[in-house]
Amino acid sequence: MADVSLQTTPRVRSGRRNLRLWLPLAWITTLGLAALFAPLIAPHDPLYQDLFLERLPPFFMSGTEPGYWLGTDSLGRDVLSRVIYGTRIALCVSLIAATATCLVGSTLGLLAGYFGGWWDRVISRLIEIWMAFPPVLFAVLLVAVMGTGLTSVIVAIALIDWTRFARVIRAETMVQAQMDYVDSAQIGGARRLTTLVSEILPNVLPSIVALLMLEMGIAVIVEAILSFVNLSLSSDVATWGSMIAEGRNAIHFAWWVLLFPLIALFLTVLSFSQLGEGLKQRFDPVLQ
Amino acid sequence: MAAPLICPQTAPAPALFSVRGLRLSFPDTAHKPLFAPAPRIEVLKGLDLDLPRGQITGIVGESGSGKSTLGRVLVRLLRPDAGQVLLNGQDIATLDEAALRPLRRNLQMIFQDPMSSLNPRHKIWRIVAAPLARYANDTSTRNASAARRDQALRALERVGLDPSFGERYPHELSGGQRQRVGIARAIALEPEFILADEIVSGLDVSSQAQVLSLLKSLAQEMNLTIAFISHDLSVIRHLCDNVIVLNRGEILENGPVEQVFAAPQSDITRLLLDAIPLPELDDKWFD
Amino acid sequence: MTMSSTLNIQNLTVSLRSGLPLLRQVNLTLEPGEVRALVGESGAGKSMIGKAVLGTLPPATRVTRGQIFLRGQALDHLNAAQRRHCVAQSAALIPQDPLTALNPVRRIAPQITDPLTRIHGWSAERAQTRALELLDRVEIRDPARVMRSYPHELSGGMRQRILIAAAFAPSPPLIVADEPTTALDVTVQKQILKLIRELQKEVGTAVLFVTHDMGVVAKISQKVSVLFQGRVMEDSTTEAIFSNPTHPYTRALIAATPSYADPARSFSPVPPELIAQMKSKIAQEEIL
Repeated sequence: MADVSLQTTPRVRSGRRNLRLWLPLAWITTLGLAALFAPLIAPHDPLYQDLFLERLPPFFMSGTEPGYWLGTDSLGRDVLSRVIYGTRIALCVSLIAATATCLVGSTLGLLAGYFGGWWDRVISRLIEIWMAFPPVLFAVLLVAVMGTGLTSVIVAIALIDWTRFARVIRAETMVQAQMDYVDSAQIGGARRLTTLVSEILPNVLPSIVALLMLEMGIAVIVEAILSFVNLSLSSDVATWGSMIAEGRNAIHFAWWVLLFPLIALFLTVLSFSQLGEGLKQRFDPVLQ
Repeated sequence: MAAPLICPQTAPAPALFSVRGLRLSFPDTAHKPLFAPAPRIEVLKGLDLDLPRGQITGIVGESGSGKSTLGRVLVRLLRPDAGQVLLNGQDIATLDEAALRPLRRNLQMIFQDPMSSLNPRHKIWRIVAAPLARYANDTSTRNASAARRDQALRALERVGLDPSFGERYPHELSGGQRQRVGIARAIALEPEFILADEIVSGLDVSSQAQVLSLLKSLAQEMNLTIAFISHDLSVIRHLCDNVIVLNRGEILENGPVEQVFAAPQSDITRLLLDAIPLPELDDKWFD
Repeated sequence: MTMSSTLNIQNLTVSLRSGLPLLRQVNLTLEPGEVRALVGESGAGKSMIGKAVLGTLPPATRVTRGQIFLRGQALDHLNAAQRRHCVAQSAALIPQDPLTALNPVRRIAPQITDPLTRIHGWSAERAQTRALELLDRVEIRDPARVMRSYPHELSGGMRQRILIAAAFAPSPPLIVADEPTTALDVTVQKQILKLIRELQKEVGTAVLFVTHDMGVVAKISQKVSVLFQGRVMEDSTTEAIFSNPTHPYTRALIAATPSYADPARSFSPVPPELIAQMKSKIAQEEIL
């Protein structure tokens, strides 16, 4: 009976599932194009200050200047152009930092979950110790020691967040390692590492992909937080976090400076997490 | 497929497996003291047994009797604490994984749960071909992999599955079909020995009869030695040449099925037989 | 088909939302104090009948036709709350898996006595006395200690005895036993079957006994419904089923059940032609 209901539910949900995949994909593709072609798309130089044009409202309000679609900030810089250029930093950080985090965390999680014994004891203790540090403080300290800059931000994210992958992937690997197909591979003469890579990894992969997407969203947030406290990149680079930080001072009379980077941030983080779930379901032959 | 499962009388054959003084214990984590290692529960208490070559030996017992543990020691998924496991005269009890690898192509296994023993991410032909690939000498040339695929499809045909099943995933098959794939994987390497661990307990009676008669005819064709683990004495009576009855890690009975079923030595065996509800009316069964 | 029947099911059809029927026009009656076996292979719908009676059908299914009378009361004339109350008053379930049927974080005592006090309005003392009495009856040594235990402290056989005691405690007119011995060893199975039979006679309860094992059918039941793909193929007394089965499928099921006492008889699978024939017959009837 359970078989029957399992076979029918995905069919009912497939429409919603596709939307979950394609909407986020569309948004992230848009961001990617914006980042690549920022100099061509952006109507203004994101750093050009014009104090005569400070705090212009966005296009749908009164008192606007043509060409400044989303208004200007308190130094008269074009908000739209800054959001577009901010995309470059956001995507760069999310791709590199999340991938690095994923590689480190998943590898340790797979090793701990499958080999057990000393591997598991050492890696599990490491995870526990790591997670006892307050993450934001940890990041601030790291960047303070290594100096500000893109590389420090990426290293900080990877060093903080690998535990998220390691914990989840370790638990999933342990479940998979109990399955008979793992014994069966051993019976069939597979080496331990071969079994891990060719038998267990494909079964854990959907979770890794979902976590990776989630991590990309988190990386964007962490970068924004570090920008917010002025520990990310020098202030002459437009990032969403630094825009939010600057917009905070003018929130009562120029809220758009804060709002538009915030919307971009929100949509991006949401898209990554939804894309992760969508991909997980899409590439799972069992769920299909 | 509907071949009768009557066991012909066979003369004693030399043993493929000889087990002597086999002991195994597991840590009892449920009763672990806070700051001391867990006490150990002895699961196999010094077993001596032989598995005659070319015959099917049933291993039967209730849960906790150690029958699955014994099976897993035979294919060396578990390493015993003490004792010898002689395969063709060679003691494999303490060999490490590297030394075992060349022997493993001769020691195959069919699992209880065909769903969890077939990797859900792999197509059927790949599942059957995987062990072939590992023991092949010519690795990764295109011809060799096509040949292995053909070999896998032939193994599928041998268990009565159309080659078109090769392109499917395990969850697209019925329980009986999955168990056939498990058998195909086990015979693909043409091993001497197959361990069958409760392979029909999850199947409906109609697929059960099919899978058992398939196993029986393959055993005869390929001259396989099979250890058939089951909790079902009726199935063992129909399929096996010999039977070993285990209880709490000790052997109660060991002999040809006709003999053991006609005159069981142990009261526990008699209790086990009496407890089986046979498909016939019997007013006095409960008394 | 008299009003005195404990259970009367007429033309019951249960379908998945997609329209696929799981039960097809099932008719059966259960007289007071009678044991009726529902036997069939997986997917035959035997558990669905019990679920339809108890009102625990899976969310993806619904009753599309037919009526269920519980002690003369038509269940589909009641609203959801009345129906729940009526069923809880007259029926109890012995579930298949004793390991998951008891709540692991609660002691045994309240899990037996709660329904007695809540649904049957008994006093706490009376419920307690009855629970101890029944635990003693199912041959549990030291019932007072077991009442204070948690499920994980007890073996599978013990837990199944407790579930049987809990089901019989209110002396319900109807008990649905859903494969209650499938997960147990044969020696424990025999004890459990014996207990169910004795208690059923003492209390006068009618039992709907779901099983796939023709051997169990022969021992426990007086009436049998043989099911295939949600349709009743044969409805007869147990005696007639085993001495003179009329439907070829019933004969095939008996022939497919191995018997150690009869090794000369070849036990053969259900012929695929027979299954194909029954399927096409059902499909034809569906069109008409």
